[in-house]
Amino acid sequence: MPSISPAEASSDTPDNTPHALLPFLQTQSQNTLTRLYQSPSSCLSIFRLLAPLERQMVMNLLWLESSIAVATMATWVIQEHQKLYENALTTLARLHILPHHIAKLALNPTFKTSLRQAITGGGTTGSFGVPSQKDDKHSPPDIKVLDGYALERWETILHYMVSSGMGQAPTKPSQGVLYLLQRSGLMASMRGAPLQITSTGFQFLLHSPHAQLWDLLLEYLAMADERRMDVVEVLSFLFMLSTMELGREYSTENLSDTQKAMLEDLRDYGLVWQRKPTSKRFSPTRLSTTLTSSLPPLPTSTGTGSGSQSEGFIVLETNYRIYAYTDNPLQTAVLNLFVSLKYRFPNLVVGSVTRDSVRKALTNGISAEQIISYLTTHAHPQMRKNKPLLPVTVQDQIRLWELERNRLKSREGYLYKDFASLADYEFVLNYAKELDVVIWESPTKRCFFGSSEGHANIKGFIERRTGGQA
Amino acid sequence: MDKASHLSVILDLSPSQWHHSAQQDNPYPLSLPDFLSQLLTFLNMHIASKHENTLAVFGAFPGKSVMLYSTTDYVDIGQAMDANTYPPFKAVDTSVTQKIRDEIDALGEADEEAPCALVGAMTKALCYINRITSTSSSATAMTTSHSSRTPSALDASDPSILPDPRILILSVSPDLSTAYIPLMNAIFAAQKLKATLDVCKLYGPDTVFLQQAAHLTGGSYIYLTQRDALLQYLIMSHLPPPAMRAALAVPTQDRIDFRAACFCHKTVVDIGFVCSICLSIFCRPVPVCTTCRTKFPMKTLQRLNASRPPMPANPSLPGTTTANTSVGGTPRGGTPANNNGMAAMAAGLR
Repeated sequence: MPSISPAEASSDTPDNTPHALLPFLQTQSQNTLTRLYQSPSSCLSIFRLLAPLERQMVMNLLWLESSIAVATMATWVIQEHQKLYENALTTLARLHILPHHIAKLALNPTFKTSLRQAITGGGTTGSFGVPSQKDDKHSPPDIKVLDGYALERWETILHYMVSSGMGQAPTKPSQGVLYLLQRSGLMASMRGAPLQITSTGFQFLLHSPHAQLWDLLLEYLAMADERRMDVVEVLSFLFMLSTMELGREYSTENLSDTQKAMLEDLRDYGLVWQRKPTSKRFSPTRLSTTLTSSLPPLPTSTGTGSGSQSEGFIVLETNYRIYAYTDNPLQTAVLNLFVSLKYRFPNLVVGSVTRDSVRKALTNGISAEQIISYLTTHAHPQMRKNKPLLPVTVQDQIRLWELERNRLKSREGYLYKDFASLADYEFVLNYAKELDVVIWESPTKRCFFGSSEGHANIKGFIERRTGGQA
Repeated sequence: MDKASHLSVILDLSPSQWHHSAQQDNPYPLSLPDFLSQLLTFLNMHIASKHENTLAVFGAFPGKSVMLYSTTDYVDIGQAMDANTYPPFKAVDTSVTQKIRDEIDALGEADEEAPCALVGAMTKALCYINRITSTSSSATAMTTSHSSRTPSALDASDPSILPDPRILILSVSPDLSTAYIPLMNAIFAAQKLKATLDVCKLYGPDTVFLQQAAHLTGGSYIYLTQRDALLQYLIMSHLPPPAMRAALAVPTQDRIDFRAACFCHKTVVDIGFVCSICLSIFCRPVPVCTTCRTKFPMKTLQRLNASRPPMPANPSLPGTTTANTSVGGTPRGGTPANNNGMAAMAAGLR
């Protein structure tokens, strides 16, 4: 787990949680998957998304011509880890990589052929991307240019989201991106008003870039059908991008129409760089080449930024003060979600975590854990000397503030009061208790509060009594 | 469990041994080109397993060791790239085959082949591992001193943090007893780096020292019997990273030959005589330790000489004496009574 940020580690532990894409693949039909497996690069990328044991099982079977007995395979995993092994079998069966069979195990023949081809090379599928001819006029783009482009695109999207709630008007991302944000429920528009960020959107902002990227891409995949795009082509293009080399130009000529259409969308997300929209060549950015790895998808340092993407920048003190060494408007805006900012300097933002600021975040749907994990992920290197990393007082207080919101519970009901005598009161109260509808009672004030379900009965009971007396 | 892992592969490329190995009178002849094609597939599978996995390949040639490939050195495959191969695979394949070809062409027509620089290659591999692990740990030392699992965003730039290092030795040459001491030192260095040494013996008799190397570092030693199934052997036993082997029934060795080589004649001995001061091993009692110059009392020397086995050890044929695997508690040696004496000890020195 070399580079996954702790935020990701706590939200989706890479040890146990399968990759976000796998559940989506599992819902696809066998037919779709088999078509997908025809491309060696897709097989390679899917293979990488699997858990370690699953990968090893695939490897063991990859070069066997005949099938192998289930019992033989099972003895290869030691007794204590059989559960892990069975889970792996289930996952592989769902992906139709290793079809479930009572007695024999053999890989899906399409998958086997393609993965073999991916590993040994050769074939004529061209699934790893056709490199473009050398261009005499322009040299291929610098990696720096690509990184800058990816970062700029990505931050535009996030910045738009974060500032939508504050009435600012930052640069709008393209129409396609806006639609995607709306579809994924990260942003919503109330009665024709401009788009507003939703509570899922707030949570999204605190995720690691890698998780954010896959969230959006999954949504994109879900939209594919609706847009009459072939899921297989969309997926195989994404996988092709993930196996491409950074800083190299590829030709668009061998792409299908769907994939050419995708280029435009992916350019908006910052996954692909093109000199101009009509260009016959494109270059993948770091966002796309790290799709199937856990390396940071965004450049570690940029020309404009202070390199704070990779290094932590937040210092949190026990007196709830936050010093954030950043000049990045996006980071400032994200902090502004749960910190009340006090001063702003060219490279430093000072604020404090207050009850109000945290409550504001909580009402936006952000949880205390998310705030804490964000602070942990982006803690300044100086902070990392501390043990524990964040001051315990602040951590606890943030959690308490969250609990505070759960202190009041509202329930609908009726208050019964003004009883003539204590005996009357107790008589009715006992009846209500038998029905188990009493929520609160006060003998001194001669009143009690009952839930609304019991009201009809109690009302009838009182009427019968008063009626009997009258 | 799902961490990147580093693999260093050491190839024993002794031309004469490979020539013997390819002879048709072997039960399963295996020639160098066949071996390489299976090996490259294995290397590709290691890279395929995870995007962050790193790889280094070292070749042990007669009297020379060469680094054939490493992930950290960028190989420009340039126009050789095609649309049907994953670029990193192409880089490994071309780089390894090209360098092996160059080295073999450069070999002179010497009458006698120099012994293979296996230890040299091992040392290079260890240095390489030390370099990639220490750069990543020094970068994180200040940030993660308090907790081992804080993959701070700081080391995000370094893909090689905790790469779970291991070295796979593919050996064809027999034991070289002169290399005993350097090899032992390499093993200790590997232990210190927490690197696992895996050994796959492709051809020739079992090697005592490499068995020990695998045993001492927690790796596995495989003697390849069915050589046509080389790739499957490699995948099943050497592909899973050490962290995962806990869950798997990886083949291990049941018999380990713990014999050591003496310091004086570099022969493998069943019973050695150990200096009680510096623990140097000798194949026969000596009056003065050649390493630390300790003088042993005459009386002990005589007693030890008297208690030696009647059959004179045959130093020219290591390994043909008794294949005594665990010489636990040999009664022959004199009791190491005086602390300035020389103790006869079972060779299982550890």
